[in-house]
Amino acid sequence: MKVKKYITLLKAGVIESVQFRLSLFIMIVGNMLYLILIYYLWNAIYASAGTDKVNNMTFSDTLIYLVLATAIFNFMEMYAVWEIGRDIQSGKMALNLIKPMEYRSYLFWSYTGGLVTNFVATFLPTFIVIRIVTKDTIPLGLNLLYFLVSVLMAVEINYSIDFMVGTICLFTESIWGINIMKQVVVLLLSGATIPIAFFPETLKTVVYLLPFQAIYNTPLTILLGKESFENVVMMLGVQLFWCLFLGIASRVFWNISVKQITVNGG
Amino acid sequence: MKENNECAIVMKGISKEFKVLNRREGLKGSLLDLFSRDYKTVTAVDDISIEIPRGQIVGYLGPNGAGKSTTIKMMTGVLEPTRGELLVNGAVPYKNRAKNAEKIGVVFGQRSQLWWALPLTESFNILKDIYMIPDQEYKDMLEFYQSLVDIEPLLHKPVRQMSLGQRTLSDILAAFLHNPGIVFLDEPTIGLDVSMKSKIRTLIHALNQEKGTTVILTTHDMGDVDALCRRIVIIDHGKMLYDNDIEHLRRFFGSYRTLKLRLSGDKKAQLEKLTAEIPECSVGITEDEEWITVLVDEEKRKVMDVLSQIQNSYTVRDMQLEEISTEDVIRKIYEDADRENGAASEETEEGSESK
Repeated sequence: MKVKKYITLLKAGVIESVQFRLSLFIMIVGNMLYLILIYYLWNAIYASAGTDKVNNMTFSDTLIYLVLATAIFNFMEMYAVWEIGRDIQSGKMALNLIKPMEYRSYLFWSYTGGLVTNFVATFLPTFIVIRIVTKDTIPLGLNLLYFLVSVLMAVEINYSIDFMVGTICLFTESIWGINIMKQVVVLLLSGATIPIAFFPETLKTVVYLLPFQAIYNTPLTILLGKESFENVVMMLGVQLFWCLFLGIASRVFWNISVKQITVNGG
Repeated sequence: MKENNECAIVMKGISKEFKVLNRREGLKGSLLDLFSRDYKTVTAVDDISIEIPRGQIVGYLGPNGAGKSTTIKMMTGVLEPTRGELLVNGAVPYKNRAKNAEKIGVVFGQRSQLWWALPLTESFNILKDIYMIPDQEYKDMLEFYQSLVDIEPLLHKPVRQMSLGQRTLSDILAAFLHNPGIVFLDEPTIGLDVSMKSKIRTLIHALNQEKGTTVILTTHDMGDVDALCRRIVIIDHGKMLYDNDIEHLRRFFGSYRTLKLRLSGDKKAQLEKLTAEIPECSVGITEDEEWITVLVDEEKRKVMDVLSQIQNSYTVRDMQLEEISTEDVIRKIYEDADRENGAASEETEEGSESK
């Protein structure tokens, strides 16, 4: 059974992530603090704007969007770039390359366990709280199903981008700068820090042509349930395209690059 | 195709070169390096050919930086050779890496492949599924392990709480778990105490005997070599210096005797003086700094002759005469190779190197 390998790695990840109870707890608290900060920041922005709606979004729209973006970020961010960089610098890459699996899948499935834990520990509670607080603004229907499909693809897209950036570390043997740049670009252009609706028109056009918006903007827009069915299908289609394209591109890039590899140490 | 069945590893004229940037010194140099295209080529492994039959334990020796790990990384498929032909289990290791990985096991001395936060038994379970080991084989292997060492207390301990010895032992067991044809052990006994070392040697020996596993062992510990390997390969500066069985090596150096002396006075000063006085012998000090050792080749000069020369100018309080040990043999080979290289480059401080 080939699938069993992957499930085993996923399970191991879950076990590993719940081993550190304190860190899990701190993550939940940190998440809450960040949400409070966002609340007051955007409160002030709306107060100074003087109108109820800014860029066609009410205060509660914006808040829901950003809170959920944070929640998605918290469970989806894999820090794969760090991991790849560390593996290269410490020379542990050698051990990972001699696993009877492709490194890309091996790393991905080692991470999925943590993702599942974080989904349950941070995303679900945040979602439930925000739904209660905003008094049923988010519909509970088919949009949840679409959202789930969309999030799975978002995870894959996010991982592919991370993996490609990580591959660059094979050449540079340093990660910090590259990773910070990647994080800023992704968080801004994906609509995770500022809703894309707030972007100027030209930037909006550019952003919709890039893969980043498919990570946060697409699943969130679908979850909020305001789009028509045709639009949802369109968005999922675009996501699927990026999913396949980046999946293949990151594999090819890795396979070419790994030939260049010089494993440190030993 | 016939040789594939007999040989676990075939290397023909393997070389590996690395491109390294020529670094300059200081802040200014570092900034200039950012735009530098000034690369130099470093040859880590230079034209090595070895054939290793199945079931053999081969000691792969050499000083630090000799190119041992680079060779191992090529054999495991992590690195691609620059030149030469390499077959492991009848396949080219760096092509289809994942598939070849099923048939090899690896322990890199100071790194663990185990899951840090999880108990050993969980790590084993993961490996079982990754390598797709059938349930029955897995059970048999664990029972076999239990008959060799007491693994029961280790199984439920998280790897991060293990001592270095326990972790190394676990890593070796993990490398053999999927019953691979070849296992690479890169300095497995580094930093371990005597009893753990002997435990690990017994384990490796038993696994080799029982499962017929080919073992490639790199080490600096002559105890490992004496206990396990019948064949040794020595490399230095990427070149192969020696490849033969260990008895042959001892016979080759059969005319060598080690003369151990206890002289009155300062040992360091005597060491320097003696090196100058008897240039045809290599002089050293034992690890406990109790004895001065003089390695004598009887074909060149008789031991008694050397002894009487020393007695003329020193007071000998105590003396012993010993066969040459494997460790001395290896040291002698390194030194001879160094001297040959030294003739080309400039190297003078041979005698100051202590044992």
